[in-house]
Order: sequence, then C-alpha cells, then structure tokens
Amino acid sequence: MSTFTAQTYQNEYLPLDGSEVNAVVTVTASGADASAASSSAAAEIVIVDTSGSMSSPRAKLRAAQQATAAAIDCIRDDVAFGVVGGRERAYPIYPENGALVSASSATRAEAKHALAGLKARGGTAIGAWLALADQLFVTAPNAIRHAILLTDGQNEHETRDELRRVLSTCEGRFQCDCRGVGTDWEVDELRQIASVLLGTVDIIAEPSDMEDDFRSMIERAMGKRTGDVSLRLWTPEGADVMFVKQVSPTIEDLTGRAARVDAQTADYPTGAWGNESRDYHICVHVEPHAIGDEMLAGRFTLVVDDEPTSQALIRAIWTDDEQLSTRINREVAHYTGQAELADAIHDGLEARTAGDDPTATVKLGRAVQIATESGNEATMQLLKRVVDVEDAHAGTVRLKRAVDDADEMALDTRSTKTERIRRSAP
Amino acid sequence: MTATCPSGHVSATSDYCEQCGAKVAGSGVEAAPAPGQPTGPLPAPPAAAQPCPDCGAAHVADDRFCEGCGYNFVAGSSAQAAVPSPATTREDWEAHVAADREYFERVSPRGIDFPADYRQRAVALDGRELRIGRGGYSADGPPEIDLVEAGEDPAVSRLHAVLVAQDDGSYAVVDQGSTNGTSINEDPTWIAANVPVPLADGDVVHLGMWTTITVRRTTAGATGM
Repeated sequence: MSTFTAQTYQNEYLPLDGSEVNAVVTVTASGADASAASSSAAAEIVIVDTSGSMSSPRAKLRAAQQATAAAIDCIRDDVAFGVVGGRERAYPIYPENGALVSASSATRAEAKHALAGLKARGGTAIGAWLALADQLFVTAPNAIRHAILLTDGQNEHETRDELRRVLSTCEGRFQCDCRGVGTDWEVDELRQIASVLLGTVDIIAEPSDMEDDFRSMIERAMGKRTGDVSLRLWTPEGADVMFVKQVSPTIEDLTGRAARVDAQTADYPTGAWGNESRDYHICVHVEPHAIGDEMLAGRFTLVVDDEPTSQALIRAIWTDDEQLSTRINREVAHYTGQAELADAIHDGLEARTAGDDPTATVKLGRAVQIATESGNEATMQLLKRVVDVEDAHAGTVRLKRAVDDADEMALDTRSTKTERIRRSAP
Repeated sequence: MTATCPSGHVSATSDYCEQCGAKVAGSGVEAAPAPGQPTGPLPAPPAAAQPCPDCGAAHVADDRFCEGCGYNFVAGSSAQAAVPSPATTREDWEAHVAADREYFERVSPRGIDFPADYRQRAVALDGRELRIGRGGYSADGPPEIDLVEAGEDPAVSRLHAVLVAQDDGSYAVVDQGSTNGTSINEDPTWIAANVPVPLADGDVVHLGMWTTITVRRTTAGATGM
C-alpha cells in the first residue's frame, strides 16, 4: 500500500463579485514496495485481435504474438492471467477452460505455446472481447485487474450501442489500456474505451514497436499497488463544480464520472496507483462574498479502498487588492494551456479531415504556439509531421500537403498527453 | 467535537464549516497559505452525536440520514412514519409519471423550456424492481421507467433511481447516486444515495427539471386470497 499526499496550487484571492475558483491539486503516491508482491493480488488479461485483417501484412499477427509473449514474460509469479482472442466473437486462447491461471514458469510457457498456433480470420466485435475479459476477471475478485486490448480495425461486427452497453457493465470492474496497430482503427472508438476503463490509448504504427510497448504496459500494471482510489470533492452549499480534470500525465475529464456521496460531496474514480504523481485541475463556482471574507471552496480528499486519507483545501478569499486578485497561479495557467493545446489539436485535425483548411491552419497554428510556450517538445515533434512551422512563437504554420495517416493518428491519440509543469526547487 | 461557524451552522469539521465553507473562528487556519501548502491533517473524525430518535442507531455527525432507518436528521422527520402499516391484503400500487410545472419553476434555470406536450402515464408496480432513468445502454436494457420516451428531462441521470418493493407491498425509492438528485414531496433536500426511502400513498418523487413520479395505492387489491 502506498502513502498518498495532496498539495494545492492556487491563487485563492478573488475580486469583488468573483465566483470562479481554480486550483491544481498534485497527488503523489509513494512507498509502494515493489517486492511486496503478495500484499496486492493482481490479474492480467491480454486481448489480441485475431480478425482476418491481422494477416495483412502477415507481420502484424506475428508481431502481436511476439508482443503478447513478451508481455506474458513480464507477468510476475502468482498473478492470475489469461489471453483472449478476438474475432466477431471472443474466445479464450489460454487457458482454454474459461478461467484465469496463476502465473508460473510452466503456465507462462504453456500460454506462449498456445499463442504460436493463432490464425487470423473473422471480424471485429470489441464489446464481445471486453465482455469475455470481464467474465474471466470475475474469477479474481480481490485483485487489481488490468487488461491490454490490441486491435487493428474498427468495431464492425457489433453496433455502437452494443459496445456502449458492455462498457457500462465493465466500468469500474477493470482497467484497460488500448492499442491500435496500423492505421485502420478509429482513434475516437479506442479513446472512448480507454477513457471509460481508466486506461491509456496509443498507436503502434510499426508492428516491430509492439513488443517494447507491451512490455512497458505490463510493467506499469505490475507496479500498481493500490487498487481503488477516488477523489472526493466536497463543495459548500450553493457551489457548482464546473469541472474536475486529470491534467497530468494526460488530460482526462472526470466531471461526468462523479458518483454523488451526498448533496455536497461527490467521488471521482482514478483507478489503481503505483508510485506516481498526477495533477488535477478543479474549477468551482461559489457564491460571491464580501471583501475580506474567507471560505472553503472545496475540500479534496483521497479515498483509498473506501478510507479517506490525506486532503487538500481549496480556498477563496475576497480582496479589493487587484494585485492579488488578478494574479494567475502558474500551475493553473500551465494546465489551462495544456487543455487548450489538446482541444486545438483535436479541432484542427477534425477541420483538416472535413476539408476546412483555414480553420485547421488557425487551430494547429495555435497548438504549435502553446506547445512552444509550454515546452511540450513531444507534442511539438508530432505537430511538425502534420504542419510546416514558419513562426512557432506567433503560431504561423502551413498545412503539409501529404501527411502520413500514422502521423496524423499519432498526433490525435497523443494530443492529451501533457507536459508536466516544471517546479523550481523549494 | 463540533464547531459553530459564523452563520450558526453546526459543523463536524473544525477548520471550515461543512455546510457553507465559512472559516470557523479560532480554527487556527492560516489566512493566506503559501502556494503548494502541504497536505493538511484530516479534520477530527466526527464524534458520535445524539443517537437516532427513531431507531436508536448511532448518528455519524455529518450524516443527513440515519444509517439504520433513514430518519432525516436535517428535517427531523421520520422515514418510517410515512409508511402505511403492513396491510393485511396484498395491495396494488401504481406510479404516475408526469411533468410538474410548479416544481419546474422552482428548480430549473433560465433557458430551459417546460416540455409542451408531455406524455403522462401510469406504470403498474407489480413487485418487481423498477429502474428510473434515461434510455441508457445498461446491460439489462433500457430502464422500466424510461424518461426518454416522454419529453426527455435533461437533468435525469441514465440510471437515476429505482423503485423497490417493501415487505408490505408498498414501495421505496432508492437514488442510484444520480448527478442531480432525487427529492420527495416539498422537502427540497436530496435523499441520500443508495438508501431506500419508503413512499406512502400519494407521495411525490421529484427528479430532474420537471419529472415527478407519484405513487398511488389502487383499490383493486383483492387477489382472491
């Protein structure tokens, strides 16, 4: 079990009639002992697309087999695991009896042997794959449950409603990192799945990159030590929560995920934690008070396995000193910018696809500008494959005429990855 | 230990009022914390206050409702008092779903229009659990009382509440942790999530911007027993 701390970064001063309170809360988990494997049970399922398209090119299926084998090698002893194959239905690849097995050198070898015989044929019905994984996870009730979903195509053999239905069933029962290989899958579809199941989404443009990516996903999953962490936000009577967003390492809007505890308190899910640090941006509207008044605009409590642990306070103080009230907190400004960056990329790519070049140019230009200002080098590199940058500080760009599909999808999937604010040493 | 805030609210948290957020005098809270102020200690856990006057269960100070019987500590009203005494013959109940203009005008923000033609309907309560919600994609199909069908109420959650049968044949409403809450009759406070609140004949359940569900006992209760 980790130790959690929470710190608030905000400008608590509001002008007369000011009502909007913004704060960034940094949550850090530490002390999870990587060797204390037995303290937290884990379950892991790898879901591999084995639809017909996985055989063109043939390297795709081969890479998926190798990557899954590499992932299996990283599953530590005693973790319940299994491998699921996906076509227009889901089927257990290993073990074949529809349960999970405890990892050991013998079962890992058996699983890899089973992988070697995979054939690619049939269609794609991701909801059915997730539903089977969910059934299998039921056999590991107290474990931290994690899945990897690999696909190369769109969800063609079931309706969007069917997928949504399965997702709402699986929500809160396991986490799932999603990976798309090649360029025939749909970014929004996988993002929706990853978002509901509190996982990440990314593109694996080259089959040969799959192995490293799978290995690092499993290692991260194995590093999770605390299963169920929620953010509990109390707000005063009459206040409105405008949003609660995870802003680092990626942007995830949690506002709609609130589970109400009472009229003034709601819990937001964050899934499992290892030794890591995440930032949250919270915006609350409160009723304006008189100059000189101080109130609590939010009490942010970490709830670990149903136990409230540490907390951070979000305050509001009304002042007539404009020097105080007009200051914008660095952290809040930084993450407001990162959110705008993600939006600008999303809107820009959408406009580009729709053939609206002027809008795409303005939006992607703004994205280049923010990425430059905030030092988000990774996003800048991705942007440069889609636009030619003339003046990064002014945001002047030209759309590239020929853009590789994979580059565009990489920019789309990774646009929510934020640059962490650099904090000067205290 | 409880504290009293400048507005007179009794609060289980001693730094800021748990109701309105006002700073509690003498709380020793720094007026202007440095940015990045480290984690504060948790407020003292709420001490057990007066036990529930209805069932005697311990009352956790910041709980609005009794864990034992659903007694409303804020309104001081007994949940059980509203329940009719167990009937000797089996009763039939109905839920009437309607749009309530008066309620709408009380709670809804500007810019939202009251539905012009709302399809009112009655749903027979036959002992099953009935889900109230908005055409979701739950694994169990759409809710039995689906508010999409009748002039959709935007403030109703996908799975908002359920009606569950009680031992005596009457019904209780259980809010499922909805975003915008459920209230009963004239009491504007939301009922606690996941706590069944028994309903008496004629009780009105309010949810969303205008949706009201009135439960009624029908006289056709004879079942030939």
